[in-house]
Amino acid sequence: MAFSRIEMILLLGLSAFVLRVLPQMFLVANSFPESWDRLLRYLSYALLCGLISITLFMTGARFEAESAPYRGIALAVTIVIAYKTKSPVTGMLVGVALVLTFTSLR
Amino acid sequence: MSFAQRFRQGMNAAIPIWIAFVPSSLAWGIAAQAHGLTLDEIILMSAWVYSGPAQFAVLAPLAEGSSAATVLLAGFLMNLRFLPMSAALAPFFRGAKRLPLLMASHVVSASSFIVPYLQFQKERGASGGGSVADGNGNLGFFVGVGATSFFVWVLGSVAGYGVALSFPLGLEEALKFILPGYFAGLLVAEMKDLTMPLICIASMLMAIPGAMFNPGWGWLATAAMIAIIGWRLERWLSRA
Repeated sequence: MAFSRIEMILLLGLSAFVLRVLPQMFLVANSFPESWDRLLRYLSYALLCGLISITLFMTGARFEAESAPYRGIALAVTIVIAYKTKSPVTGMLVGVALVLTFTSLR
Repeated sequence: MSFAQRFRQGMNAAIPIWIAFVPSSLAWGIAAQAHGLTLDEIILMSAWVYSGPAQFAVLAPLAEGSSAATVLLAGFLMNLRFLPMSAALAPFFRGAKRLPLLMASHVVSASSFIVPYLQFQKERGASGGGSVADGNGNLGFFVGVGATSFFVWVLGSVAGYGVALSFPLGLEEALKFILPGYFAGLLVAEMKDLTMPLICIASMLMAIPGAMFNPGWGWLATAAMIAIIGWRLERWLSRA
């Protein structure tokens, strides 16, 4: 069965909406046992960390080896600053400044 | 606190997300235009799919006219992450009005998950781990973060289509860093026990071979596996 591009976008959005809305339909009235709560938290955080990694270091299936070292250093500094100051924005700003510095030095 | 007050709180908390969304959504709009998508399709995709990674992932197969199964599977796998994120938020919305809640769930994204989730956890901690019953107020905060970020994303996509911006290389590099840098800062600022940092570090490292193996679902699978292994190990150690 052939779909037009608009139909495919509609189906794609529908699948995304179902994934978003199902927990709100069936899990709102429930409180999870502590261990399941932890599993959900770990799953969400692990996915977020995976997303950070592929956004920074990958383009499709290609590892961006040339820029990975300085992006990695900037990320590490961001993490340390955010941890020490308890301010994610400060960490991010320092990381951005570092990336700009590294890029201008290349 | 009223819904409106909590909404404003959420809006304030979302400002760094807006800043991060501007370059990402512009980049998406530019890329979509370059792949031959029309303005209607770009707006529809940004507003209805509303998922940066999935939108980028399906762009090429969609433009190349690949099979519907390929496009839908790639998008579905990229969007699977919404399931645990939405599930983790759900208990905080107990008592919220049903219809607004279901409509608001459309704006669940990585950003609109992590900011409210950490806020709700902080509030739960401050109340001694007890009540999370202010579902309506929590929904206000969530909508303040999610809906405003959503509009920034859609408007940015439209702007990206209209303006064929070419950023200088250095600036492009900095813009690419904003969102992941902010996510990393958010996560690390809230870390307490040992399991979570270990899971995060392992997920970040293993996402790369995972994405090299399969850019669509490889990193998702490795992240899910690491989370489950970490969770099982923690349970096993606590029992031992």
